[in-house]
Amino acid sequence: MHIIVVGCGRVGSTIAPELIEAGHTVCVIDRKPTSFRRLGSQFAGDTLVGVGFDRDVLRAAGIERPGGVAVAAVTSGDNSNILIARVAREMFGVENVVARIYDPKRARIYERLGITTVASVAWTAARVTRKLLPESVQPTWTDPTASFQLIEQIVPKKAVGMRVDAVEELLGGRLVLIQRNGEMRMTDPAMLLQDGDRAHFLVPADTANQLTTMFDRAEGGH
Amino acid sequence: MKVLIAGAGSVGRHMAEQLALSGHDVRIVDVEPSVVGDKADGGPIDGVTWFLGDACEVGFLNKIGIETIDVVAAVTGDDEDNLVISLLSKQEFAVPRVVARVNNPKNEWMFNEMWGVDMSVSTPHLLTALVEEAVNVGSMVRLLSLEGGKTHLVEVTLAPDSPALKKEVGGLGLPREAAVVALVRAGHVIVPRNDTVVQGGDEVLVLVSLGSEAEATDAAIRAALVG
Amino acid sequence: MGLFSRKKSTNGEVIAVSPSCHLDDVVPIGEIVARRRVRVVGEVVRMKTRPAQGVASLAVRIEDETGAATVVFTGRRSIGGVSLGRLLLVEGVAMNRGDTPEFTNPEYTLLPREATKA
Repeated sequence: MHIIVVGCGRVGSTIAPELIEAGHTVCVIDRKPTSFRRLGSQFAGDTLVGVGFDRDVLRAAGIERPGGVAVAAVTSGDNSNILIARVAREMFGVENVVARIYDPKRARIYERLGITTVASVAWTAARVTRKLLPESVQPTWTDPTASFQLIEQIVPKKAVGMRVDAVEELLGGRLVLIQRNGEMRMTDPAMLLQDGDRAHFLVPADTANQLTTMFDRAEGGH
Repeated sequence: MKVLIAGAGSVGRHMAEQLALSGHDVRIVDVEPSVVGDKADGGPIDGVTWFLGDACEVGFLNKIGIETIDVVAAVTGDDEDNLVISLLSKQEFAVPRVVARVNNPKNEWMFNEMWGVDMSVSTPHLLTALVEEAVNVGSMVRLLSLEGGKTHLVEVTLAPDSPALKKEVGGLGLPREAAVVALVRAGHVIVPRNDTVVQGGDEVLVLVSLGSEAEATDAAIRAALVG
Repeated sequence: MGLFSRKKSTNGEVIAVSPSCHLDDVVPIGEIVARRRVRVVGEVVRMKTRPAQGVASLAVRIEDETGAATVVFTGRRSIGGVSLGRLLLVEGVAMNRGDTPEFTNPEYTLLPREATKA
C-alpha cells in the first residue's frame, strides 16, 4: 500500500518508518523542510514540502497511485487534519483516512463525514497504524488458554447491513462492541452493521485471521 | 438580522461596525483577548456583542446562541478556520447564509457548498479584478462569482474596435445564459433596455449563468463584445 | 412483538423496529422544525447523486406517512446498507430547502423491520 503521512511531527515521524518496515511505500508531507530531520538519515521513503490539503501536492505525493492508498493526517492542527482528510476522501476517493483530532467533541462530527479520527490524548503510533490499515487484524486480547481472541476490525463491506446475530452465527463468536461515530456501544442482536463501524469481535483464536474471508464467502448483507 | 462574525481583525471589526450601524444584531467572536471587547484597540463598538472563544467549537457556538443566527461571516485570517466554521454553521446548525473570506486564492476551490459556504470573497482576487478592470479596455474581466461559482458578473469596457459598437443591447448577439444588467457611461449607471445603443468606452456589465457549456458561453460573449 | 417499537410506514402499514433504537422522541417527518435537533424515521424512497464542484454527494429521500425529507451524504455516491426500502433513523438539524427539510451528514441508524399488517 502507498501511504501518505501529512505532518512530520512526533506522530508522523514515528509512524512513517514503521510503515516502511511493514512493507509499504510512504511519502511524508510537511510545510517545513526542517521537520524531516526527525525521520533520520536512514528513512527509505519520500518527503515532500507542501500543504497537505493542496490537490497538486497530494497528487505529487502519489495519492492517485493504483493499488491502494492510505492517508494519515497527523499535523498539529485539528482543522488542517480535517481539511486533509476530507480532500483525500471526497476528492480522491481514498477510503483509508485517519485524522488526529485534539478536540473529542469535534471528532464526533468528523466521524460522520466518514473520517476515522484518533484522539490526541489516546494516540499511539500503533493505534494510528492499526486504524489506517484495516486488513491488519490485531488481536487486542487473547485468553490464557489461547482459545479465544478479541479482534478489533473495521466492518468489511460485505457485512454492512447484516444483523449482529447473523454475523455472530456466521463467525461462531460474539460481536460485543461497535464503535460508531466515535462512540462505543454494546451490541444487541437486532442491530444492523453500518458503513464505517469498527467492530470488536470475540472469536475462536484459529478463525481470527479469516474474518474477512468468512464474510466474503457468506451471502453478505441485505 | 442576527449576524455572527468570526474573526475580529480589521475586516471583522469593520463589518461589525457597518452592520451595527444598519441596525443589525451583531455578535463578534475571536480567540485573541487583545482584539475582543473592552481591551481591544478602539474599544467596544455600539450595538455589537463580543465573545472570547473558538468559533470552531460546537459547544461554544451553542453558548453564544447560534440557533437564532441568520448569517455567519467567517472572516478570520486563516482559511482552515473559515472552512471549519462554515461547515459547522451549515451542517450542525443549518444557518441560512454563510459567507466566508478566502485568504489564499489557492484555497478558493474549497469555498463552496462542500464546506457550507454560500458565498466567498477573496480579497486578492477582487483586487486583481479591480486592477484589471482599471487597466484593461477591450478585455473581459470577472468581477464577482455568486452561487458557489455558478454565476459570474463580468465586465467589458468597449474598445474602439469592438463589434458591439453602435448596436442595440437586444442585438448584441449574446448567448442565452448572459444578460446585460448595466452600462456605465461617463460615470452614470444606465439600466439598459433592448433598444439602448452601446457606445465606445461603455463599461458593459453582464451576468452570466454557467451551465455545462461554460467555455462556449464565454467565447460567445467575447466574440460579441471584444471581437 | 411487544418488545419492539412501532412505526407506521408510508402506506400505513404498521412496522416494528428493533428495541435497541429508542424511538420515544422520534417526531413525524411532517413536523420537522428547521434548525432544531430532531430524530425522525423514514423509508428510503429515492436516491440520487448530486454533482457539486467536481465531487459527488448522495441525496436520499426518506418518507413517512406525514411527509418527506432529504438526507445528503457528502463526498460519496453510495453508502453500504442505504438502499431503496430501507428504514433510516436520522438525527440532526435540518435546513429548509424549498418545501423539503434537508439534513447534511446527520447521524443515521439502519433499522431492521419486522413488518406486520395493522
